[in-house]
Amino acid sequence: MSKGPGARGIAMAAGEFALRSAEALAGGAAAESGLVEQCLRGDPHAFARLVALHEGMVFNLAARLLGDPEEARDVAQEVFLQVYRTLGRFEGRSTVKTWIYRIVVNQCRNRQRWWRRRRKDRSCPIDALTPADEAKLAEQGSRTEDPEERVQRRERARAVQAALLRLSFEHRAVLLLREVEGLSCQEIAGALGLPAGTVKSRLSRARDALRSALAGPLEAL
Amino acid sequence: MIGCILVRRRLSAYMDGDLDPVQSRRIVSHLEACAACAARWRSLQSAVEMLAEAPRLECRDLISTRVGDRLEVETRGAGLALVLRPAWKSRPLIVPSLIPAAAVLFVVLGAAFALDRDTEPLPAVATRGAESWGPTGASGTESNPVFVSSEVSAPRARTSAPITELMADVGEEPLFVETVVARDGSVSMVTLLGGDLRQAGPLLEALRHERFEPGRRHGRPVAVSLYRLISRTDVHAPVT
Repeated sequence: MSKGPGARGIAMAAGEFALRSAEALAGGAAAESGLVEQCLRGDPHAFARLVALHEGMVFNLAARLLGDPEEARDVAQEVFLQVYRTLGRFEGRSTVKTWIYRIVVNQCRNRQRWWRRRRKDRSCPIDALTPADEAKLAEQGSRTEDPEERVQRRERARAVQAALLRLSFEHRAVLLLREVEGLSCQEIAGALGLPAGTVKSRLSRARDALRSALAGPLEAL
Repeated sequence: MIGCILVRRRLSAYMDGDLDPVQSRRIVSHLEACAACAARWRSLQSAVEMLAEAPRLECRDLISTRVGDRLEVETRGAGLALVLRPAWKSRPLIVPSLIPAAAVLFVVLGAAFALDRDTEPLPAVATRGAESWGPTGASGTESNPVFVSSEVSAPRARTSAPITELMADVGEEPLFVETVVARDGSVSMVTLLGGDLRQAGPLLEALRHERFEPGRRHGRPVAVSLYRLISRTDVHAPVT
């Protein structure tokens, strides 16, 4: 295992790491490029800030791709450990965010292949909404929606996730990067290592597959 | 006017604004004229909007905390990092860890040996016991001798042991002895069934060297088991 760039100073307490992560949220993505250089120089807190900037995105993408919050949490941890260990090889051809997207997709793809090999008898959990997510949904709609609209909103969220999980992994990945993460086709091409034209045609088929998968549930709602 | 198939293929690009103005106008015209394609366009827009509006899923605990814990373990050096290291990494503690294991093994084996050792060995017992039960040979062989009967003649002694002289060293207690006369007339086994083994030792040794004309069954020599009660006490026939 190769040591990461900040190995000298990473031996800080976990509590301090979390505190720095929370502080970094306020900083936004503006200092992202500088964070990498600080990490490479061995700044013990720079990597914590980098994690804090991206952990929400990484978890959400992994949870949507895998449909299992627990697996997504493990994947998110592995993603950042891989980032830490390979940050020295990051060449800066893309943004750090795009590079992390690529690691997330690859980790999730590997995890799903592992599922298929080892757990053929177990189906993938359909619902990635945790009780906390449902509470958040309820809170979001409480001021503007009546209870019936809140229920419909929650059911739509469930239907979307269920429809996503019926798509192929590659369709799911390109849809999430485009519609949820807001990446351009060029950025998606960089993250997935594909030509932009392939991304566009795959995105077209993925959108159509999602429309078909949602056709039944939408009529029911 | 372009066809439905072509329009449906281009709806995704139209949604992203990737079409040139001419192609876009053709799509718009077709959607205004074709109800089926218009419905398809609306359902596509609706599906994509639903996905875009889906709530972001949040992790219950901070991932940064887990990552920090893991990195701390990995960079701490010895301790848990030693346990969690990959299998291919060197194992500097393999030899030191074998020392206490060897000591424990030595103590356990030593204790087992000490407990198993008898403080005073029991005298050899030549009486017939459970060890004589088991797979036996054919009837009339040395391992499965027969008894004297109407079909089996008794072995006749050629050379008898000096029983009278040897009995002088034996106490008053009578000896009950089984002798197996082999098919060649030798004595294959002498077993003391009753009496003091330590005092009867010389007598038993002498009995082993006796020679007999073997017993026979249907004219063929067979191994025969003889039982003898040997006593210093004279037994007289009752006076009538």
